[in-house]
Amino acid sequence: MKSYTIFENPSHKWIVLGRDVDKPDNIIDTNQYVVITKKNTLLMDPGGIELFSAMLANVIKLVPVEQITHLFASHQDPDIISSLGLWDQALQNATLHSPWLWEGFIRHFGMEHISYSAIPDEGSDLKLDGVNLEFFPAHYLHSSGNFNVYDREAKILMSGDIGAALESADAPMFVEDFDSHIEKMKMFHQRWMPSNEAKNDWVNRARALDIEMMCPQHGRIFKGDDVKRFLDWFEALPVGILHTK
Amino acid sequence: MHKETYSFFVIAAVIAAELDKATKIAKKLSITASNARAVALRAGEGAAGFRPLTDFIDKLATVTVHSSTEINTLAADLSRTAANKFRTDNAINKFEAVYKRAEGSHFIDSLNFGYDRTKGCQYLLYTNYQKQLSKLTTELETLKDELRTAVILATLSRVEASQAGLLYQESLNNVANNVESAASAIKDHISTSQHLVSNLQQEA
Repeated sequence: MKSYTIFENPSHKWIVLGRDVDKPDNIIDTNQYVVITKKNTLLMDPGGIELFSAMLANVIKLVPVEQITHLFASHQDPDIISSLGLWDQALQNATLHSPWLWEGFIRHFGMEHISYSAIPDEGSDLKLDGVNLEFFPAHYLHSSGNFNVYDREAKILMSGDIGAALESADAPMFVEDFDSHIEKMKMFHQRWMPSNEAKNDWVNRARALDIEMMCPQHGRIFKGDDVKRFLDWFEALPVGILHTK
Repeated sequence: MHKETYSFFVIAAVIAAELDKATKIAKKLSITASNARAVALRAGEGAAGFRPLTDFIDKLATVTVHSSTEINTLAADLSRTAANKFRTDNAINKFEAVYKRAEGSHFIDSLNFGYDRTKGCQYLLYTNYQKQLSKLTTELETLKDELRTAVILATLSRVEASQAGLLYQESLNNVANNVESAASAIKDHISTSQHLVSNLQQEA
């Protein structure tokens, strides 16, 4: 599993972990994002059971386990949070932030020590050592209860499945040519995202944010003008379409 | 897949299912006891010797329902402990993989708290599992012993049925047959459970 620091300032840093060449075949490659502040660490969409050992091994190269104080699950899918039962055994005093809608479902992954902080539909803020992170609503994109994480200071939007692309584990970490990247994203968004109305509402709200990097859970990170290109492309894309072979 | 190739926590669940079947049969035995009493009453003086036997059949049914329900609960608890043990064993394996992968990392020792806590939990689950397994073995053996009286009851019932008038003989023989077949079916489920328990004891 590779580790890249994508943002760093005196108050905090963002790291992306992914491109795990040791992951078993037939499971989708995922990006895990980590925010490290002075005394706290937030793991975003920490991944599935199969990824747990690689993920924890990489995180404790960055911080001690007791500093992993917060987890975020954008929604309830297994590639997002099925490792919860293992994190629950590993962490001493952690909180999972996730949509209120999924609490009764996510607890099925096993949760005895970690506490659940339910994010209301309208979103909420998480303050870690003075660093403010916003849980930005992204419902129906694709899950019916779904959030992104926005860091106003770093100008980073962790966009979950929005902007995701299906590609190999050795793909570059950043989008290099937006036009050629479209084909890797199109089917994913049309098939997994069910609502044009929800999509356009999200695009309008995302346009109001100052975003330097848009970080999806699968595929590559969008930087600079590619963020705007993505928003324009996504706005024009009809979703909720079943592709037939 | 053959039962014996299942993981131990699946075997524990299969034992619980076997005992659930035994409980249901034991409940039918209770109905047989009620029927036996009704037939004996109708038969009057001709089945005078049969009447005390119905009390024994009723007692056997009550004891069997009670024991098999308790053993069923015990097996369900064992299944739950076995599943938790499996989950904890899995976590320990994952942690040990992290120790290997992150060997030499500055913060590797910070994993010790979670590892030790999970190890403690694994030990508690293991000892609890052993206790539950041992109790289950004893209870199964006790129930099997109790069911031995069913054979005697069935034989005595047949003898008494032969003394009753022709009108009730068939009904009373049916009672004897029901007692015998219910006890035999329960014994089969207990034997299967005992075989599975011995598999678990070998694995533990």
